[in-house]
Amino acid sequence: MECPYCERRCRLTEGGVGFCRMYELSGDVVRERFPHRWCAYAVSRVETIPFYHAYPGSRCLVIGTASCNVDCRYCSNNYVAKEDPATLQDIMIEIPPARLADLARKHGCHSIVFSINEPTVSLPSLLEVAVAAREAGLVMGCLTNGYGTPEAVELLGEIFSFVNVSLKGLSPEFCQRYLGIPDSAPVVRTIRQLAAQCHVEVTTPVIESENDHELSAMADILASVGRETPWHVFRLLPTYKMSKESYPSIDALNAKLEDLRERLPNIYFHNFIGSQWVDTRCPDCGEMVITRHSLGCGGDKLDQFLCDGDRCPKCGRRLNLLGTKVEWDAREVGA
Amino acid sequence: MSVAILDARQWQRTVDLRTGHQVEAKGPLVDKVRTVVDRHPFPGDRDPAGNTWVVDTALDFIKAYDPGFAFLTLARQYYSARYSPLSPDERAAMAQAALDEADRFARESGFFTVVIGTGGLTQATTPIDLSDLDGLGVASNWSARYAGLYDPSRQDLDRLSANPGLERLATREEILSLFGGAPGDGARLPDVMVVAKEGHYYKNTSLRRLIMIPARNTFIPVSANLGPVDSITDIKARLLDALGDRKVAVVLLEGVGKADFTVSSNTCRNGVDWYCYEPVDGQYLALTTGKHAVFEHNGGYRYFLDDTEHKPYPFSGYFTKLPTGTIGQDYPGRSIAVGNRSMFMHVTTGCDIACECFARNLYNQGVMAVIHRQDK
Repeated sequence: MECPYCERRCRLTEGGVGFCRMYELSGDVVRERFPHRWCAYAVSRVETIPFYHAYPGSRCLVIGTASCNVDCRYCSNNYVAKEDPATLQDIMIEIPPARLADLARKHGCHSIVFSINEPTVSLPSLLEVAVAAREAGLVMGCLTNGYGTPEAVELLGEIFSFVNVSLKGLSPEFCQRYLGIPDSAPVVRTIRQLAAQCHVEVTTPVIESENDHELSAMADILASVGRETPWHVFRLLPTYKMSKESYPSIDALNAKLEDLRERLPNIYFHNFIGSQWVDTRCPDCGEMVITRHSLGCGGDKLDQFLCDGDRCPKCGRRLNLLGTKVEWDAREVGA
Repeated sequence: MSVAILDARQWQRTVDLRTGHQVEAKGPLVDKVRTVVDRHPFPGDRDPAGNTWVVDTALDFIKAYDPGFAFLTLARQYYSARYSPLSPDERAAMAQAALDEADRFARESGFFTVVIGTGGLTQATTPIDLSDLDGLGVASNWSARYAGLYDPSRQDLDRLSANPGLERLATREEILSLFGGAPGDGARLPDVMVVAKEGHYYKNTSLRRLIMIPARNTFIPVSANLGPVDSITDIKARLLDALGDRKVAVVLLEGVGKADFTVSSNTCRNGVDWYCYEPVDGQYLALTTGKHAVFEHNGGYRYFLDDTEHKPYPFSGYFTKLPTGTIGQDYPGRSIAVGNRSMFMHVTTGCDIACECFARNLYNQGVMAVIHRQDK
């Protein structure tokens, strides 16, 4: 039977597993091997994921499972995403959906965000978590590599109110060499599909001389999805199989983004300490509306939220925000 | 104003440490520090050159600034043992390599160098799950032994009391009593502190498999050249005494206990009664301030409560203020701190210049150097 969750469409046989090793065949049903077993839960700022345009300033409970369905050479969470999930089960925590939602509530969180590995490999569990989260008044967000089937992406759009899709490269050569997938067409399709369902931001890690020449073509794609789509261009942090590679030049990459900023107003360049390209300006009048601190990989934070709700405080233009600012302690138990 | 030079390799930006906002920093030290930092890109927490980076950078700062006091932390052996499956011989060799680097620093700098181990490590066993309580259990990534419990039910307390991985449950009042605090001192203490037995740890925030974690280090080693010391809180005063007539350095070796401490040493108490420090903020502050800071810095506080956009010092982790009474502040001469234990360098030492790796969960972001003072 074909696994219905990702574009690898692995053929599952009784007793066998597919590429991600997270699903198995049980009779004529594809089922999860390790449902509701999480690698971690931790309080974080929504900007760290990163989400810059969804509920700014809010507190989220970050969760993840194990494994992934693509094979990035620079995977920063390889110790969870690339290990055989069966060998990690002794350090996983089994948390049923209602208890997970309750943990988020007790930690004063506004949302639950799946961001450590790929949600497509744990979709049935996440569907159940979404029900519990909804009952608890929590929204959900995720990071995804976008390499799901249209049916799975439909489910992602139902579960998550805000999604950050990684558009890592376009050419088949890049996709095959760096991601272990044939091409990027399914990822682009996912971005378009999700943009019709929920709030979408996009992230692109840039490897100098490898995919930086594709930035303009990516900008065209994002402009066609929505000119104000937030786009997080990451300076690649050399890790995993690329740990011996050089760090890309910040000045050189930023120079390539200068022209693109004329076409897309919400381009951010970060994933390194101290970036000054993490603030949001009104696309019409240029007023500064949100400022942030860049602490590098997984550490960004809100500095000042200057909008009037979801509008520019100067010209009144509506901004591409999901919700508006959420006070850090808005959901604090007893606050 | 303290300024921070953020160095992401071939690219620097200078910010006000308190606000995190870019500043046009001026002063006699700014260009010197920028130059030294640029010369020493951080190789990584577990990189074989991780400790060499500390010593080389410190020696470079000594040439540039001529300090009388230097505080160094060498942590490569700690991170490696914590996350990498190493044999006992490999771990011992790494500890010895760290001691050798401390010796190299002493020889090349000419400083009277006191070497201190933060305590040995032990094998991590099955994690303790605090997710299934009626109350809220809070553990942090870097504390294996201590966690906080908030609003626990009777059933929570009964269940935890029966958990074979736990050593004790200590109420806020017990912690206050242990360290001589008044009721008003307990605002950042949990309702109940959960204390794990040696080898056990709490599972929630750590993504990586833990291999070795801090042992129950009631005592830690201090090189014999400082003379006998009773407690970790006595070290600061002894160092200040020594600074009266010579240049002095402390080299702190993370994850090294008496067993691996091959230089002549004494031991000193690393806490009070059953409470022993792990190599985190509380231990650093006990060493650098000469006082126990458990009420504000313990493994069970809900640090995320402070993490609003109004929190000052955005590049200083969970610290909301810079501690006072540190050795760097109390020593009137020039001082530097260099280490691969990130923010602890600039927050806990109080040295005029503090240079540290900017790494989070082993992700190497670069280097941060803080200039607290330029007037000496």
